[in-house]
This record gives sequence, structure tokens and C-alpha cells, in this order.
Amino acid sequence: MAVQWTTVALYEALIASELNLEGKIELNDGLEPNISVQLAEFGDLPVQITVSGAQLMVSSALWEASQVKDLAHFNELALKLNPVNALSNIGLITLTPGRDLYIMFGELSASSELPHIIEEIRVLADNTIEAADVFSDQLIASPANSTGAAK
Amino acid sequence: MSLWRKIFTMFRARATEAGEAVVDANALRILDQEIRDASEALRKSRDDLTTMMAQRKLSFNKVQPKQNKIAEYSGFIEQLLDRGDEALAREVAQKLADLERETEADVALLGQYDSNIDVLKKSILQAEGTISRLKQQVDSVKATENVQRAQAALASQHSGTNTALRTATDSLERIKQKQLERAAKFDAAKELEHFGGDQDLQAKLANAGLLEDHSSADSVLARFKSRASLSAPAAPLRLDKPSSDKS
Repeated sequence: MAVQWTTVALYEALIASELNLEGKIELNDGLEPNISVQLAEFGDLPVQITVSGAQLMVSSALWEASQVKDLAHFNELALKLNPVNALSNIGLITLTPGRDLYIMFGELSASSELPHIIEEIRVLADNTIEAADVFSDQLIASPANSTGAAK
Repeated sequence: MSLWRKIFTMFRARATEAGEAVVDANALRILDQEIRDASEALRKSRDDLTTMMAQRKLSFNKVQPKQNKIAEYSGFIEQLLDRGDEALAREVAQKLADLERETEADVALLGQYDSNIDVLKKSILQAEGTISRLKQQVDSVKATENVQRAQAALASQHSGTNTALRTATDSLERIKQKQLERAAKFDAAKELEHFGGDQDLQAKLANAGLLEDHSSADSVLARFKSRASLSAPAAPLRLDKPSSDKS
């Protein structure tokens, strides 16, 4: 019944959707292409979308493990948050040896309809920003990160 | 469960090696093997099912003629007994007894086939489920790998500088900044509005003759006259706003 998306087909559909008016949608082409969506509403947070077989993964970078004050404590908080925050999960991936990155991610069927995918992108971005807010006291205030904004 | 253990063991091995990315070809290889094993099991179950169903059909085909014979012999016995030919009836009855025993065994066998077929069908369903779950897992591993690659690519763009890659914190900061700006604009607009309202009121008060009109020719002249008469400079116009905040 439902057609299974490919990354490129999904990119084209997103470009043609209303989402394109709300931010920047880019296709990072390659052997395994991925889509990057940055919505103004969510502070231009880059959200990655990839289609692999029957699965569609939407993810965004939370922060690097090196930015967390107390990893054990943060991990515990994140695990406790996961069941409550049903739609998105917090995970950890390794960028390069010794450089781990916390991500927020959600998975959908690759046969999902476009409105559901767009909804997932928004929900994920929203959850990521919420997490950044809630967990801000768990992070080392990095000078490179601050925008120098006055209160 | 065993699959989880395998992948987990692999993660740990990788971690100590401090080698490449966490999710790598090894995870896929393990999953690939699992899928092949499950597919093999599935193929075998399907073969067994085909054989079993064929055998059941053969048995079933044998039962039907026997049952027909039983009905036929029963008819004969009745007729022979009616005719009083007890001897022949006994002979037929002997045959009938044999047939009934055979059929009973056949029916029991059919029952066994049926239950075996049930079991096989269930295990086929299970194997199919396992395979589709495994394939889903492969997709997950590939998707994670893909995310990893995408994030690593983003990160490498920042690798030269000491800047952390743009993450949730930065976006949150942006949003807060925007909200502050919006709030400031809103305040400014409100202030303007308020100021406008105030002007209105001032004008009304002036119209009502309750306010000194500083800008009228009369008042200017009056000011000059009073300055001349006092021969002292009038208080200079205050250019600085009263106690302005340090920005």
C-alpha cells in the first residue's frame, strides 16, 4: 500500500512541502545520503533524516560527552527521561575515537506518510531544545559555545 | 537475547580497542549471519511442512476407500444376517474388524500429522517474524551508522577550531536570544504606544489650557523678556535625559 521512501525521494518531497518555507533543507549526497533540516522556529537546530531500508531515522545532536559535567549522573537522568519522553530517545554515538556525541533520535517506518515525518521532525527538534533547556545545568559552560548574550 | 549479547560483546571489544566507530561492519556481519541462520531454519521448516502435508494427503486418501469399504461390508453383514447366512456374515465381520482397526490407526496418524503441521506452521510464522525483526535491526544499525557519519562530517567541519559542533545548546541559546529580542521589541512597541497615549493626553491638557505651551511664540518671547530683565542666562536646555541608564 504505502510506498517506502528513499532518502532522495523524501528530500524532494520535503523541499516541496510547507517545511521548506520554515527553514533550510539540504541533501548531503553520497553513498548513504542524508537530509539535514534546520528550522528557524527551533533555533536552526540541524536535524538529520536518513532512510535505511524499512526504517527512517530522525536525529539531532544534543552535545558532546566532553561537555557534560558528570557523565554518570547525566546518563542516569537521560535514562530516566527516556520512558517519559515517549517520542524521542537519547542516545550516544562515537564521532571519532574518544569523541562521543549525545543525540536525540526517533524512528519511523520508511513507509510513513509525509505529514507524519514532518511532525516527527518538529517533535524531535522541540524535544531536543527542551532537553537543552532542562539539562543546561548538567553541562560545562563552554566559552566556545556561548553567544555572549547578555541576560 | 543472544543477538544482543553478541552485539554488546562486540561493542566492548571495540571500546577497548578504541578503534573505529561503535557501530561498524561487525554488527552488520553478526546480523547478517543471524538472518541467514533464520532463513535456513525457515527454509527447512517449509520443506518439512510440504513433506508433512503430502504424507497427510496420502494417508487421508487411503482412509476414504477403507471407510467406503466399511460401509459396504456393514451393509453386507446386515443383509446376510437377514438371510440367516451367519457363516458368511462372520467371515465378512472378520474383514470388517480388520478394516476398522486399520482405519482407526490411520485416523490416529492423520491426527498426528495435523498436530505436526500445526507446529510447523507456527515455527514458520515465528521464523518469519525473527527474520523481519533482524532485518529491522540491520536497518537500525545502518541508520545509526548513517547518523554517525553525518554527525562526524559536521564535526570535522569544526575540527580545526576549538568550537564544539553546533548542537542543541547553541540552538537553545539562539531561541532565547530571539525571544529576548522579540520581548525587547514588544516592550519598545508598548513604550511607544504609551508615549503616544501620553502625547495625546498632553495635547488634551494643553487644549484645556492647563499646560504651559512651551513652543508657542508667546512663551518664547516671554522667556527672552524674562532673561533680559534678569540679565542672567536662563537655565540651558537640558540635553541629557534625566538619569539615563548605563547601557
